[in-house]
Parts: sequence; C-alpha cells; structure tokens
Amino acid sequence: MSKRIAAALFGLALLYPLIGLFAPVGPWHWDGAAILDAVRVSLSLTALAMVIVVAAGTPMALYIAHAPAGERLLWQGVLLISVLLPPLALGILISLAFGPHALGPLLAHTGMRLTNTPLAFVVTQVYVSMGYYVLGAVAALDGVPRALETQARLLGHDSWAVFRRVTFPLARLGFAVALSLAWVRALTEFGAVVVTAYYPAGMPVAIWTGLENFGLPAVMPLLVVFLAVALPLPWLAQVLAQRRPSGA
Amino acid sequence: MLDARVIKRRARFTVDIALRVASGEACGLFGASGAGKSTVLACIAGVEKPDGGQIRIGELDVTPELPLHRRPIGYLTQDANLFPHLSVADNVRFGLRNGARESGDAWVAELRDRLRIDAIWREPARAISGGQARRVAFARMLARKPELVLLDEPFSGLDRGLVRDLVAAIATWQRELGFTMVVVDHVAEILERLCARAVVIEEGRAVQEGSWGELRAAPATALVGELLAPL
Repeated sequence: MSKRIAAALFGLALLYPLIGLFAPVGPWHWDGAAILDAVRVSLSLTALAMVIVVAAGTPMALYIAHAPAGERLLWQGVLLISVLLPPLALGILISLAFGPHALGPLLAHTGMRLTNTPLAFVVTQVYVSMGYYVLGAVAALDGVPRALETQARLLGHDSWAVFRRVTFPLARLGFAVALSLAWVRALTEFGAVVVTAYYPAGMPVAIWTGLENFGLPAVMPLLVVFLAVALPLPWLAQVLAQRRPSGA
Repeated sequence: MLDARVIKRRARFTVDIALRVASGEACGLFGASGAGKSTVLACIAGVEKPDGGQIRIGELDVTPELPLHRRPIGYLTQDANLFPHLSVADNVRFGLRNGARESGDAWVAELRDRLRIDAIWREPARAISGGQARRVAFARMLARKPELVLLDEPFSGLDRGLVRDLVAAIATWQRELGFTMVVVDHVAEILERLCARAVVIEEGRAVQEGSWGELRAAPATALVGELLAPL
C-alpha cells in the first residue's frame, strides 16, 4: 500500500504544473478559428511526419539491431547527434542546409520550398523525431531473442514474415513507446519549427503567438486543447501494445 | 540424401567432416562434448557459416548461402525456442504454408496425439513446462515434413520416460515418412535406437564410421571404446 501511495505522490508531483491552468490570469481568450487551424496543422502534418518516420525508421532500426557491434555503435552515434542538437540550432541548420547556399536552388527548381511551407514543417518534424523513434525501436528489437527469429526462418519464413509474425509482436510494446515519444517530440516541437515553418502555425507556435499577442488568457485554452488532441494517440498505442495477441 | 563436407575453424582445432547419408537413412554423430558434432549440424542447417566444403541436400546445393527459409530442413536443439506470444497450436502450425494448413490437419492431429500435447493445445506457449515445450518443438519441426531432419541433443535434460516415448515416436516416423536424419548425442543408447550407423568424431575429425556392432567390435581409438562402454 505504501508503494501505491508513493506512486500516487509521484504522479501528483508530475502533474502539479497543471495547477497553473487555474491561476487567476483573467478571462480566457478563445479564438476558435485560430485554435482549430493550429490543431488541424499540427495533427495532419505530424501524422504525415510519423508515417515517414515509421516507414524509414523501422527498416533502419532492424538494420542497426542486426549490425555488428562496431557498426552499431557508429549508427547509434549518428542518431544521438540528431537527438542531442538543441532544437533551435537544428532549425537553423535545417534552414541553412536547405537554404539558398545549399540545396535550396535545386529544391526551388523542382517547385519545393523549405521555408514557411507545410513541407518545411514536416521535414523539420521528421528531423527532430526520427532519432527518438529509431533509438527506441532498436532497444525494442534488442529484447527479441535472435534464436526465435532464426527458428522462424528455419520454419520456412522469409525476413518480412519473420518480422510480421515474430519480431514485431514480441517488440510491439517497445515500438509503441518509440512511436509515442516520436509523436510527442514532433507535436510539441517549437524551437526548430519556429525557424523553418513559422507558417503554417501548429499548436506550439500558436501558443507562442497567442502569448505574444494576448498574454496568458490566450495560452490557457490552447494548452487544454493541446493536451486533449496530443494525448489520445500515444495512449492508444500503449493500450493496443499491451493487449495480448489472439491465440496467445 | 545428404552429401556434405563441412570445414569450420574453431579455437582449438578445425572441424573437417565428410558426411554421406542416403535418402531415408538415419545417421548418428557420436563423440565427446566439444568434439565438433554440433558445429557440423549447425553448418548443415545454415545457422553457422562454414569456412569451406560443400553441402548438398538431395539435388539442392545449399553451400552458397542459401537462405535459411529455403532449406528443406528440420533442425532441433536442446532449446525448444517456442514463440511465447503464440498458442501451442499456432506454434505447431507455424511452419505450414497457408495452402498446406488444411491438408496438413490430419498430420498435425497425429503429431498432437502421439506427442501427447492435446491437453495443452490451446495454452499459451509461455505457460507450459520445459518437457512439454520440447514435445511441442518436435511437433512443430515435423509438421512441415522436412526432407532432412537434424537433431542436436534434443533429449538432454528430459526424464527417461519422456525420452523413451520421443525416441520411439521419432524412429517410427522416420521409417514411415522416410526422411533423412542426422542425430547428435553423446548417449550411445539413444543413438542406437534411432540410427543404424554412426560416425565417431574426435577433435573435428571422423575417426571411425560403421554400424554399432562394427564400432563395438573394433573401436578405432581408446576414446571410442570408452564412449561405447556400458556405464
């Protein structure tokens, strides 16, 4: 029982900052259209970024998890660099790398622009969240005994079938955590996005502009909406991952 | 038919074994622990990569890194390696192709009854005992009716009654289905029940080959005599 009380205290301490929502900041400033627009931008573009992260990151995680120790360390170093960069610095680097002095002219030639466009928003989110997803996925894959994968191959299944029927079901909880972290990281990203894609404004940038223009009364409703739209997907991923598969 | 020469460098010695097993024949690999028997089997199965030699299973040359899933092999070791997220039934059917699922039902039912796993058929694989897991692993391997069966001490650690039952069942199925089989064990009694002849391995080399009678009558080395001596 004492453990449960300690856990409850931990939870209360973790959520304590939310008490700020009840602070006397004056009447909340609801701008329904602006909030809806920010929610639409954040959810749709983050979802698109997650599709790219999962599609490119999962094969890479599989590759790293099965790579020899030396090569594995190299890749993990590469991923850590992308994770460790301060968001603002990453945003500046992305702007420069895809700007007029680097890839910018080439991209412009194909009609793509990586400043203040939905494409810039998605690319930035992919950069900020990819490392989290791949590192998490590699850790999840490390928990699957290689002997079981070998056994599945010996029973006549190719690599894709082994992943689908053995590796993923055994690592699904870790994949759910990795995806949740990537989702949260991308959705909440401000520092990098504010440099590369001030427009279209997602939730974090909308909170910033709300604070700038109207002060705290504009921030509070945005925070509530933000929590309401950000939480369900990673939570659902956890719920689905913890369900026992049929036949087990 | 298995026609193999396996060369594999180990820390203390190089394993270099030539092995010919006729179609439908069962052959034992016999020797002290660490002699290289399991290495030979692992190389034939494709789990370890040989440093040289050639391995043919029937008409199929498996030496040039043929992927594991294309090898017509059933390979069983001391580790049952059941898939813990699946039921016993799904483990046994795991190797059956979609098309073979229905046609294989009678065979799977026979395996289930003969190996006495019907009582745990719907149980999650993670919830069964070690002895039960080993029986399920046998069923799973045989469900596919592999052309070549490789057994690497799959009976070790099991109680005598279960070993007797399993050995009898495997010997019967080997005769009835006619699969080629290579069995590694350091217990001569088990090998004698499964295989008419054996190859004795010492430090990676075959030192003697023949029927059990021949091996007993004239052991090629002192160690062969020792290994075959009654307890």
